[in-house]
Amino acid sequence: MSTKNDILSAIRSHTGKRYNMPELTLDAITYDDKIAQFSEALEAAGGKAVVLQAGEDVNDVIRRHFPDATRIASNLSGITCATFNPDELADSRELDNTDLSIVEGHFGVAENGAVWITRQVRHKALYFISDSLVLLVDKEALVNNMHEAYKQTENMVYDFGAFISGPSKTADIEQALVFGAHGPVGVLVILK
Amino acid sequence: MSTKHSKAAARFIANRKQEAWHDETLWMVRAKRDKMSHSLPEWERLRELACDIKLYTNSHLDTLLEEFEKNALANGAIVHWAKDAAEHNAIVLNILQQHKAHTLIKSKSMLTEECGMNEFLQEKGYDIIESDLGERILQWMDLHPSHIVMPAIHIKRQEVGEMMERVLGTEKGNADPTYLTHAVRKDMREKFLTADVAMTGANFAVASTGEIVVCTNEGNADMGTSFPPVHIATFGMEKIVPNRESLGVFTRLLARSGTGQPITSYTSHYCNPKEGGEFHIIIVDNGRSDILARPDHIRTLNCIRCGECMNTCPVYRRTGGYSYTYFIPGPIGINLGMLKDPVKYSDNVSACSLCLSCSNVCPVKVDLGEQIYRWRQDLDKIGRASSEKKLMSGGMKFLMERPKLFNTALKFAPLVNKMPRFMVYNGLNAWGKGRELPVFAKESFNEMWKNNKIK
Amino acid sequence: MKIGLFIPCYINAVYPEVGVASYKLLKSIGLDVDYPLDQTCCGQPMANAGFEQEAQKLAFRMEEQFQQYDYVVGPSASCVAFVKENHPGILEKAGHVCMNSKKIYDICEFLHDIVKVKELKAEFPHKVSIHNSCHGVRELHLSSPSEMNIPYYSKLRDLLSLVKGIEIFEPKRIDECCGFGGMFAVEEPEVSVCMGQDKVKDHISTGAEYITGADSSCLMHMEGVIKRDNLPIKTIHIVEILASGL
Repeated sequence: MSTKNDILSAIRSHTGKRYNMPELTLDAITYDDKIAQFSEALEAAGGKAVVLQAGEDVNDVIRRHFPDATRIASNLSGITCATFNPDELADSRELDNTDLSIVEGHFGVAENGAVWITRQVRHKALYFISDSLVLLVDKEALVNNMHEAYKQTENMVYDFGAFISGPSKTADIEQALVFGAHGPVGVLVILK
Repeated sequence: MSTKHSKAAARFIANRKQEAWHDETLWMVRAKRDKMSHSLPEWERLRELACDIKLYTNSHLDTLLEEFEKNALANGAIVHWAKDAAEHNAIVLNILQQHKAHTLIKSKSMLTEECGMNEFLQEKGYDIIESDLGERILQWMDLHPSHIVMPAIHIKRQEVGEMMERVLGTEKGNADPTYLTHAVRKDMREKFLTADVAMTGANFAVASTGEIVVCTNEGNADMGTSFPPVHIATFGMEKIVPNRESLGVFTRLLARSGTGQPITSYTSHYCNPKEGGEFHIIIVDNGRSDILARPDHIRTLNCIRCGECMNTCPVYRRTGGYSYTYFIPGPIGINLGMLKDPVKYSDNVSACSLCLSCSNVCPVKVDLGEQIYRWRQDLDKIGRASSEKKLMSGGMKFLMERPKLFNTALKFAPLVNKMPRFMVYNGLNAWGKGRELPVFAKESFNEMWKNNKIK
Repeated sequence: MKIGLFIPCYINAVYPEVGVASYKLLKSIGLDVDYPLDQTCCGQPMANAGFEQEAQKLAFRMEEQFQQYDYVVGPSASCVAFVKENHPGILEKAGHVCMNSKKIYDICEFLHDIVKVKELKAEFPHKVSIHNSCHGVRELHLSSPSEMNIPYYSKLRDLLSLVKGIEIFEPKRIDECCGFGGMFAVEEPEVSVCMGQDKVKDHISTGAEYITGADSSCLMHMEGVIKRDNLPIKTIHIVEILASGL
């Protein structure tokens, strides 16, 4: 407690001029075709976006993209291609060696290809541990930029939330880009 | 008049091939950043807003930190305050002891580097595992970061490959970055699953919600916090932002500036402890509150650690992070080092040609170059000015304040042109390293004007 | 309007022809130009080395010398920038309000923004690469800095475009420092030389015969590198091109 008070009193005694919070007004970029922009940004980030066509079954699309996946996790009711419900596992460590996870995102961000998720599964690890990740997003739920994105999150309550833009990546060895540093090697966003 | 920096720089440049690679590679990052910043018409407005928000937050740290603490507590987090590195490390140690932990898995944090936390805990027998690939490579090689965002940028793939042959048993002679990265992925997976406690830094701490935000490309912070019951997040108090709305500004600037990406792969928001677990947040001062009392240098607290001032700095690119004596190199490091201990870190102040590119590139408008200029003015006062430089400067002053003497000197100056080469280009003449001296004109402009020769 | 020609110390001593060209150029467009005698130095070398106080007397001296003029114009962006940006602070410490800072211009800036020249008699049938000097770009705003997201402009290019027969190029790293930096050049000689060599190479790669710019100090530094390494390019101050044939 005394440390806190010491720090706060040091701050108070050293603070000089107090500046006002600026008004966050700006003309942020918007896009005529948000889906096209989102897809382009996601591809640049190493991911891929597809739009679910009328009459198409989302499970077929997933299967087509990941023909070799055998251990597929999802707690979503419509995802019949899932081989197990990750929420039934008591220990998040059991998620290791999952080929594919299928989860829902709230919205996508056109300027950077990111999808906003909040934890909707028992184990947050699900978003990061599998070799590939499928994010299902309503195609009407794309925003232009991060200002609009944070506006959307304003009234959301979550214990963990994240913007995920493409797969896990690194360039720590000589700036050479490598996917799948620790998390998914591939990310597919299905806009439905 | 050489400084520790200039001597180390000379050693770095002696390997001209490696220097050229380092320069070119970081310049590429700068070029990617330019492409990103030019893709947003509102870029300059964003920088302005980011700077103004930081000026607000750094002049309201008292109220914002209290607001943050209140909200974090309401979220179920446990909040600690650390005055300095020793207190910070003691807090972490205490948490590890309480949980009878042995291994701590952590994501990249320049703050723990600042506090010397890894060494402190390792001496006490704890197993500290860096999970960022670059940091992990450095840990294996027993080295410190040479760049705050690309920590292992100075190491060649062959060196990494050879090291991994020893520690991971990778194929002999295989230095392919994908192969090596995936070898680490495999090894690290086990570590993620079995660590006792997870630790992260924070890029932002949101006062209005009590959440902390961590940005990574690798997802190592997310993997790290996914399994152990305990998460420790530590941040320097200038990382506070007022609300989520302001995150819109900073998340748009951070990765575009730092690596030339529109956003990092993961921008993760941590609000609550996981079920049955604990979420510890450490708010660290360690000299930051002292900076508040220095209006000339207060903007260093704006810094969001994107590292772009290093990528744009023509001196950093050609001399590498280890040529600086402070643990953060480049323009921001020169300034932060001087704020930490001006006598100890004054050797870095020479590492600047005052080109001011850093000030222009900075997403939060830290006046980096201007501050370095100001630090130079202080060196004499603290007894760290170079005596040779002082003598040269004093000599010039003496001469320039005496126009007659100056003009007479110019009359005789052309004689220097005729001096024997060995006298002009000797070891004492630093200009003579790689450059010919300028040739004095037979008649100065002033002389020509006096003699009515200019019409 | 009365113009006082500001001739910095090293132009006076090493490049008097740059001063001569400046005078002739201003005179040729009918301006009232004078040279206040016995100028020495603006104090920048001392200040950049960390001895700003040693520039104070020199700043006062310049204030007196240019008191009677409406404009102070000089062919050295860095020195002009120092007077403009730093003299006010230096003089303020002695209770004096700097006058020069409000009326001093680099000669290119002056021709471009104040005189607004639209034609020149000059002819220079050569390929030139523009050297965008740090202080010219980032303090005097002679061109758009590469770091900022603002539309491209270059006052130097605009002026050079008025010269007949000229071909204009710019290096890839359009405004990277040449490594001079005053005392930096001798305090960090290896870095400074390395930067100088890289910069000259970048200029050479444009195919230009000349490097030209508004700062004799950068040109002096690069000339030192060129001569030492016998490189196939020359340096020339921009006013010498603009005043060619006068």
